Amino acid sequence: MYDTLPKNFLRLVKKYGDQKVAIRQKEFGVWQEYTWQESYENIRDFTLGLVKLGLEFGERVTIVGDNDREYLWADLAIMSARGVAVGIFTDSTPSEMEYIINHSDAVFSLAKDQEQCDKLLEIKNQLSNVKNVIYWDPRGMWAYDDDWLISYKDVQALGRELREEKPELFEQLVEGGKGEDLANFCYTSGTTGLPKGVMLSHANLIAARDSYINIDPRYDTDNVVSFAPLAWIAEHTLAVTPHAMDGLIVNFPESPETVQANIREIAPTLVFYPARLWEGLTAMIQINITDSTRINRALYNLFLPVGYKVADKIFEKEPVPFFLKIAYWLGNILVFQPLRDKLGLVNVRSAITAGAALSPDMFRFFRAIGINLIQVFSSTETTAAGTQHHPGDVKFASVGKPHDGVKIKITEQGEICIGGEIIFMGYFKNEEATEKSLRTDDNGVRWFHSGDAGYIDQDDHLIYLDRLNDMIKLSNGESFSPQFIEGRLKFSPYIRDVMAVGGEDREFVVTLVSIDFDNVGRWAEKRGITYTTYVDLSQKPEVYQLILEDIRGVNSTLPVGGGVRRFVLMHKEFDADEAEMTRTRKLRRRHLAEQYQDLIDAIYTGNDSYRVRADVQYRDGRTGIVETLIRIEETEMEKLKV
Amino acid sequence: MPHSTKILDVDNINLSFGGTRALTDVSFSAKEGEILAIIGPNGAGKTSLLNCVNSFYKPDEGKITFNGKNITYTAPHKIARMGIARTFQNLALYGGLSTLDNLMAARHIHMKTGMLGSMIYWGFSHREDLQHRKVVEEIIDFLEIEHIRKSIVGALPHGLRKRVELGRALALEPALLLLDEPMTGMNQEEKEDMARFILDIHELENTTIMLIEHDMGLVMDIADRIVVLDFGSKIAEGTPEEVRNDPIVIQAYLGEEVH
Repeated sequence: MYDTLPKNFLRLVKKYGDQKVAIRQKEFGVWQEYTWQESYENIRDFTLGLVKLGLEFGERVTIVGDNDREYLWADLAIMSARGVAVGIFTDSTPSEMEYIINHSDAVFSLAKDQEQCDKLLEIKNQLSNVKNVIYWDPRGMWAYDDDWLISYKDVQALGRELREEKPELFEQLVEGGKGEDLANFCYTSGTTGLPKGVMLSHANLIAARDSYINIDPRYDTDNVVSFAPLAWIAEHTLAVTPHAMDGLIVNFPESPETVQANIREIAPTLVFYPARLWEGLTAMIQINITDSTRINRALYNLFLPVGYKVADKIFEKEPVPFFLKIAYWLGNILVFQPLRDKLGLVNVRSAITAGAALSPDMFRFFRAIGINLIQVFSSTETTAAGTQHHPGDVKFASVGKPHDGVKIKITEQGEICIGGEIIFMGYFKNEEATEKSLRTDDNGVRWFHSGDAGYIDQDDHLIYLDRLNDMIKLSNGESFSPQFIEGRLKFSPYIRDVMAVGGEDREFVVTLVSIDFDNVGRWAEKRGITYTTYVDLSQKPEVYQLILEDIRGVNSTLPVGGGVRRFVLMHKEFDADEAEMTRTRKLRRRHLAEQYQDLIDAIYTGNDSYRVRADVQYRDGRTGIVETLIRIEETEMEKLKV
Repeated sequence: MPHSTKILDVDNINLSFGGTRALTDVSFSAKEGEILAIIGPNGAGKTSLLNCVNSFYKPDEGKITFNGKNITYTAPHKIARMGIARTFQNLALYGGLSTLDNLMAARHIHMKTGMLGSMIYWGFSHREDLQHRKVVEEIIDFLEIEHIRKSIVGALPHGLRKRVELGRALALEPALLLLDEPMTGMNQEEKEDMARFILDIHELENTTIMLIEHDMGLVMDIADRIVVLDFGSKIAEGTPEEVRNDPIVIQAYLGEEVH
């Protein structure tokens, strides 16, 4: 292993030559294959073309466009020329592109096609540093007569000219690269203020690759389908770097619309989807099963519980009984394998979810059908590495344990800090932000202060709570995240909405819960519990017991002082018509706190019930008054406290 | 762009259905490699004119010449072989077939294998099939319809079906492409996409395009020349600029003269 991506890439070219596929891309309905030798020639010519056009050491080149072989080649070519690749998201507006191109002082801009070139032409006058725009999809470009635009092929032709003069130049350039050279800038879409350019070196990229691979190896027979934006560092860490280092085969879809079908054809060994997509897949499976034949439905309903049982045994690290193994084997052949095939996940060894937390049910479901779903926690500043669920050590509520070589610590304020080789080199041209989040300790370890709040539980798993700024302090010194508690509780099918309350003048957290009338109603019917209205159902002792279980489950993932101590089940749902929620079903916290001030005070005082009178606006516009007694329940958190 | 040679010449055609005159003494010509738009209010006879050009209708009088040959009374399927392809205002695809099959079906006029040979599907006809598939795949790529390659056309949304229909016309590799309202029922973005495809076809293949369209903005943007019909007669002909400022055209479109 060498210290830069291009050096490792050349090592693999020597190893595989034209004997092995490096890249596939579907075109004209066929998977077109490119060997390592072909990849090498393309990268070499493009590198030399850039050099011929005047690219110098350390200069930035931006790239915008869909994932394509040309994108990957350009990315590696820029690094080979010892320049720095800067990705731009394809849906960026011209002004966003202008900011990134000018802020990074880019000297060249790659733009895939007419659409992207048009955006750049619109802001041409502002881009005084950019010598040329290079496009790789010539469709529709015939009408453009502007010397500023140059085609990918023309750049490669220039490269071949230069190679005639200096046949050794490409290898010399690559040889001259060093691990500490900057390889990539990733602009983070900061939620506040302007995007920041995260500087990443070859050493960062390689460390990130190591941190994953030492837990979960990659092989040169592995396939990934590259469709997540390459401007996103995760796509580099999980596809580009392992391609250049380990020979992982990268497959590019035919068009953004065909991704799902293309994934099925390739059946990748590693997938990386945001949580939203996993949720979408579950919904899709459920719809398809409902639409399926009666036999399929019967088999699915017969074997899914078996899958759940096996998944649960594995979670609890208990042995799977022999008869269950047999049943699962059968279920796998009849149901799970075909199902995984439909999703294109038949060969998948690791299925990664990142971003928002995924509900435990989702984890159980995918694991029940035989997909090894794991949560990853990382950020751009940590080169998309950080923590993940290690094999055989999965906890739903956690984001796993540190990657190999990654250090995690929690500051006194509860901030998650990540340390190690994966930590970025700073924000480009932004000393202030760099100083704030990048610090070196006395042992010379570089730490990224993430601005995220979390803690490490008794099993050494990291639990991510929320952004530090969104944490609320309690008078006992603990902090809690309303979003975290509410989000986790809402994973329960029995809870429709919930508001967590606390503050500096409050000693503990309490929640106002509104139950899901349909689901709780069905649950009650099954148990022969009679009820009349929402109000009646919500105040049943059995329902309190049911919700209490859910709250205890969430409390078990929280530090003792930050858990929910008391709760009530509301006599009604939070309603957008009464301004308690927005139309997109977000809580209007301040309004709710005012509206239920007396109730909340009663909960904190320790009363065991509270009489509510609430104005209710009925759907037909009439108003009425509901009066009822609602119970206040303890979660017995006090008893846990030592 | 040199538009010197006439590819299509319509000479004084008259068409009537019973007592109703659909076209009266219409004459114009299309030059090779141009985009010619036919506009006019509803019922002006635009589609009837297109139907005469590809011989769905036989004019009562007059002559239509394509590439120097009189095609006035040639059968429509022979017209297709001669290099005139068209799309329809209200779509005419095989709704039960996939996009790919619809496009492949259009290739049959270029196929050399006979029925017997195709049934045996051996050697030559297999190779030929592959060749046609290649042409069709290029069209699929060009029109960006990869994702619906295997989808049944009848189930596709209108905008995509329009694109498939254009694809089928292109699969004939026409010298003259007749487009009957290629953008009806589309939203602005779909219209812009379609306009881009039309311009690209025109530029890349140097195909002569004759189109009927109601969206004046788009017509003015993409057409080289415009023929204006009203009540079955040609009332104007010229560049978009000339037509836009023609008082007769303004009157036909806006009713009374506006100063």
